[in-house]
Amino acid sequence: MTQRKDFRGALEALAPGVRRYARALSAGEPPSVADELVLEALQPLREVASNDFPGGESELRLRLYATFTQVAERKLRESASTGPSLRHPVIVHGLADLAFEDREALLLVVLEGFSYDHAAEILGVERDILVGRLVRARTRLSAFDNQPSAPSDGTRRALHLRVVK
Amino acid sequence: MANVSEDFELHAFVDGELDSERRRAVEDRLVQHPDKASLVEGWRRQNAALRAAFTHVAQEPLPATMRLGGGSAAGRSGPAAQGHGLIETGVIHWGRPSGATRTMRRVDSLRRNRQRNILSWIMTGLVGVFIAGAALVVFAGSATQPQRPEMIVPAAGFVTRADLTYLTFARDARPVEIASDRLGELAEWLRARTGLARVPDLAPSGLRLIGGRLAPGAASAAGFLLYETTSGGRVGLYFEPIGMAGSPSTPPRATVGLTAIEWRAAGLDFVLIGPLPSEEMQAAAERAAAEILSQRPVANGAGRP
Repeated sequence: MTQRKDFRGALEALAPGVRRYARALSAGEPPSVADELVLEALQPLREVASNDFPGGESELRLRLYATFTQVAERKLRESASTGPSLRHPVIVHGLADLAFEDREALLLVVLEGFSYDHAAEILGVERDILVGRLVRARTRLSAFDNQPSAPSDGTRRALHLRVVK
Repeated sequence: MANVSEDFELHAFVDGELDSERRRAVEDRLVQHPDKASLVEGWRRQNAALRAAFTHVAQEPLPATMRLGGGSAAGRSGPAAQGHGLIETGVIHWGRPSGATRTMRRVDSLRRNRQRNILSWIMTGLVGVFIAGAALVVFAGSATQPQRPEMIVPAAGFVTRADLTYLTFARDARPVEIASDRLGELAEWLRARTGLARVPDLAPSGLRLIGGRLAPGAASAAGFLLYETTSGGRVGLYFEPIGMAGSPSTPPRATVGLTAIEWRAAGLDFVLIGPLPSEEMQAAAERAAAEILSQRPVANGAGRP
């Protein structure tokens, strides 16, 4: 059945992006934690048929991220974590410092490239709420970078895109 | 006192959520307010750092458990897989393009394209740094020198040479030496003299190749490719082998009315220069940069013996 085959191809093509989002959202947890969440999000979508998505690949993408959001909010938000180790770049420490929902908003827009409307749809909130969370995330990340308690001067530079000499 | 709704608009600007008219208004505002410009620059750097930290995850092979066994599109390689280290820096200098009313491409539609993710963040990640540069261009001849951000500088006068080359040839009756109907010959010539890996195909950005030529560079030959939009706008891609870094005594500037976007990749310094609106120029520059790094086999083109 070519239809089902193409659909699985589309789903598999979207998986790397969700893995990336999951890794960033887990902010310093071991990669296996993020991957397990992705697997759990992929599971319910494996069996549906492509004509469940008249909107095509973009609708599938939204649904996949929305499904993942539900899994992550169930399993990741409340998990007791030790936080990122010192070998992670400063930006990861900054991410871990954010409120979970602010982190979601920032990563959906910046890392995954969703529009404000789509990111809001994925998270199940109004657009204004989404923008507010994004702004809070950015503001807090900027403040984090300026704190003197950053791991060490060497790693602080990772937060800025260095203009190479 | 911070105007809250203005600041929301700045975030929307960074994320490509504004239409072209509001976008221009914000660009103008940023030129007037360096403090807001540096805020925007900070967010862009943040964005770049985020992407740099996690892009590699999307490039790893999928774990077997995530493979679904269907017709896989996971074989998509392309510029994103080449590694972002090949592009070292990028710059946008803009003079205010003269009242162009062409249809705009949304920059964010390019940014979301999986294959251009890395290149996009590198380009957009550095745009903010040059808001100050734009001020220098727009207010050419101003007595005060605004604080210039630290930047990697190609051989002194690089952008000036690109600008002059563009002005010299773009509107001439014989703008190129070898036209696009002899693409193979053109590509081979430029490769031999400048080291250019491939002639970028910018047709998807609405730019048809007219042809190319050599031009005097600093210490060795430079190359110049000329493209044309359907409405006759001419956009040049000028490139030189990487020269010795040096600080020009005056900041680089493009002629007012032109936008110049420079970047360094694969052993060459490039400038894309033309009269199109900045979004279109940026989109074309990203495409050209992607093409240079692509590992697709070089098209021989018609007329190759």
